[in-house]
Amino acid sequence: MPKVTIDGEQIEVPDGATVLQACELAGKEIPRFCYHERLSIAGNCRMCLVEVKPGPPKPQASCALPAAEGQEIRTDSQMVKLAREGVMEFLLINHPLDCPICDQGGECDLQDQSVAYGRGGTRYYENKRAVTEKYMGPLIKTVMTRCIHCTRCVRFSEEIAGVDEIGALYRGESMQITTYLEKAAAHELSANVIDLCPVGALTSRPYAFEARPWELKKTLSIDVSDAVGANIRLDSRGREVLRALPRINDDVNEEWLSDKGRYMVDGLTRRRLDKVWIRKGGKLQAATWLDAFAAIKRAKPGASIAAIAGDVVDCETMFAAKTLLGAMGSTLLEGRQTGMSYPTGNLAAVNFNSTLAGIETADAILIVGSHVRWEAPLVNVRLRKAVKRGAKVFVVGPHWETTFPAEFLGDDAAVVHELPGHVTEALAKAERPAVIVGGAGLAAGVLDAALALDVQRDGWNGFNVLHMAASRMGGLMLGFAQKGGIADIARAEPKVVLALGADEVDWSQFAGSLKVYIGHHGDKGAHAADIILPAAAYSEKDGTYVNTEGRVQFAEKAVFAPGDAREDWTILRALADAFGVRVGFDSLAELQAKMISEVPALGVEGLASYGKLPKAGKTKAKGAIRYPIQDFYLTNPIARASVVMQRCSAELLHGEDLAEAAE
Amino acid sequence: MGFFSKIFTWWDGATIGTSLWSALNGEQVGTDLAGNRYFRAKKRVKAGQPFAGSERRWVIYAGANDASNVPAEWHGWLHGSVDGVPESRLPPPRVWEADHTPNATGTATAYRPQGALERGGRRAAASGDYEAWSPDA
Repeated sequence: MPKVTIDGEQIEVPDGATVLQACELAGKEIPRFCYHERLSIAGNCRMCLVEVKPGPPKPQASCALPAAEGQEIRTDSQMVKLAREGVMEFLLINHPLDCPICDQGGECDLQDQSVAYGRGGTRYYENKRAVTEKYMGPLIKTVMTRCIHCTRCVRFSEEIAGVDEIGALYRGESMQITTYLEKAAAHELSANVIDLCPVGALTSRPYAFEARPWELKKTLSIDVSDAVGANIRLDSRGREVLRALPRINDDVNEEWLSDKGRYMVDGLTRRRLDKVWIRKGGKLQAATWLDAFAAIKRAKPGASIAAIAGDVVDCETMFAAKTLLGAMGSTLLEGRQTGMSYPTGNLAAVNFNSTLAGIETADAILIVGSHVRWEAPLVNVRLRKAVKRGAKVFVVGPHWETTFPAEFLGDDAAVVHELPGHVTEALAKAERPAVIVGGAGLAAGVLDAALALDVQRDGWNGFNVLHMAASRMGGLMLGFAQKGGIADIARAEPKVVLALGADEVDWSQFAGSLKVYIGHHGDKGAHAADIILPAAAYSEKDGTYVNTEGRVQFAEKAVFAPGDAREDWTILRALADAFGVRVGFDSLAELQAKMISEVPALGVEGLASYGKLPKAGKTKAKGAIRYPIQDFYLTNPIARASVVMQRCSAELLHGEDLAEAAE
Repeated sequence: MGFFSKIFTWWDGATIGTSLWSALNGEQVGTDLAGNRYFRAKKRVKAGQPFAGSERRWVIYAGANDASNVPAEWHGWLHGSVDGVPESRLPPPRVWEADHTPNATGTATAYRPQGALERGGRRAAASGDYEAWSPDA
């Protein structure tokens, strides 16, 4: 614990801290461009210069200088001020003065810091450097003339994403950041370099020239594109969500966000259900709410009513449906749309018990039937971190391109019963062994075999199930599960099926039922439905979501639902009136209070406790593992409606050329 | 115009108090084409008060108290932009100068935005900020 003096104030800093971190601890602001907490230290922007004694009589880059005992650091001297002005002047030599037409304007580090630390005017009248245009795919717009060579994007691709896609050509002033050969940056986290870029060299292509940051309303929300529950901020103007940005939460998403979570928001304004539809004579026709309620009532379901929850619904909607069905006398609830039927008696057995942050510390990891890169890109980041610390990773399932060294043990799920010797040895010897069962593993019945593996240590539970649906854990906590899965519901032949945004269900098994679709996008579910009641998407309602590690999180309403669409719970409340039953809530607050009194864990933000793991059952895993996600960019109705996601899918996964607008 | 209409239509012209005060403390300096009368105080503002030493100027409208009724040249004089009264300082009105349009706020001819209830209240449905789904697509 070295003691250093910063601007005359003595503080103790942790071992291994840099001078920059020491200054931050002392509450001094150090300007920087290349330094980033989650990336390696590059030290090439020189903006963080401070005066350090003992040392050479010149300013030193604080980001790359270790704090040492007895250092005297000054961040406020004339030397530092002049040094910062000098660096700023050099940076601005080649930076174009195109702030008025630059998308970074208003949230640009270079803008802010040149105001705060730069000189008042320019002394530069020569020509500026220009860089040829680069192409980085459908998500990243490049104006490389603006680049200040901080190399954050290069370091992110190499260190966090684990793909060598972005690099630098040439040297010195002529350096150019590029994807080599004009290839698109194709990994699932590529758009994070847009947030990292301190200037407007890498900006968001779908958001180009859409808005300025100060005219947007910022709403705290939760990403529903996968089960990680990344914390996001929705920036909206009027009724439109213009972009989603990650919020910092070290327990969940650090400060990254998958490209799908970030860019599916344009799907929120396309293919929207904005009026009531009723199927008459085989064709859907526009109708009114009263007609629809009358038609549902005419089906006289009584207790023969079922509810199937989709992948992106919030807990409030599911609870409202559960209460409605309870009042009708039915418990036919299911959320696992594709027909999975793993036991849900003990939720610890279907939870990500090591926690997302905890998996980083695992030292031997067995992944069974999970294409982690596509099912949860942010978990893949954690796995890569674990491997960098020395963890061994083994995968049961078809080969996918990992971003870390991993050994594939075969496609057959039965491998889990007789793991090769070196794998069992690695798991047995590990201090923190972990197993991750994915959706494909659950479908192949791996759960019991995985539970039989000894991955628990003192204070460590390495048994993990990685879900793919944002609504899954919440649904399971609310009891949206039948013993035999959705097949049980089909067998009960309900008169009415409420589909709460359920788009992945095989609706042919409900041919005899009145299918009422309550959702926000015209997707497979809407095409199969008999009655469509328009509801709100995740950006249009307050909601509670539980991620795959059992973390309860709240999302706020950013915009209003379009047209006649209503928040889901109000529709279910109105249905209760149509059926003449009482559900016991008239407002969202009452609904939430009722939900929390029934499932107290949903009222507390943070990890829900599911208790101990159950004993392993005797189910044998068998059959080839098949990953459920065929196309990373098109996994939910919002993403499927999004033009940007469709374009990503076409270009990045299916290799089509992007038809760029003629400029 | 009787005494009672003066009391009850206080929004037209000056109130009795203002008229009295103008007669006692002010002198009329001119009248514009619309009939508005312009006054200035006989005495300068006393020392120690805000705007000490300046000249108070005011207008008594002919008809409704509509500030937009003051022509540009008199507006300049009222606000102290010019010293002398406009007749003595400014060129005569140009032929291309438009006549004054009375302020329509609060009247039936006031501007109403599209979709306002007074304009029939008909708003464009699904006004293009989202794309609605239809089963045929």
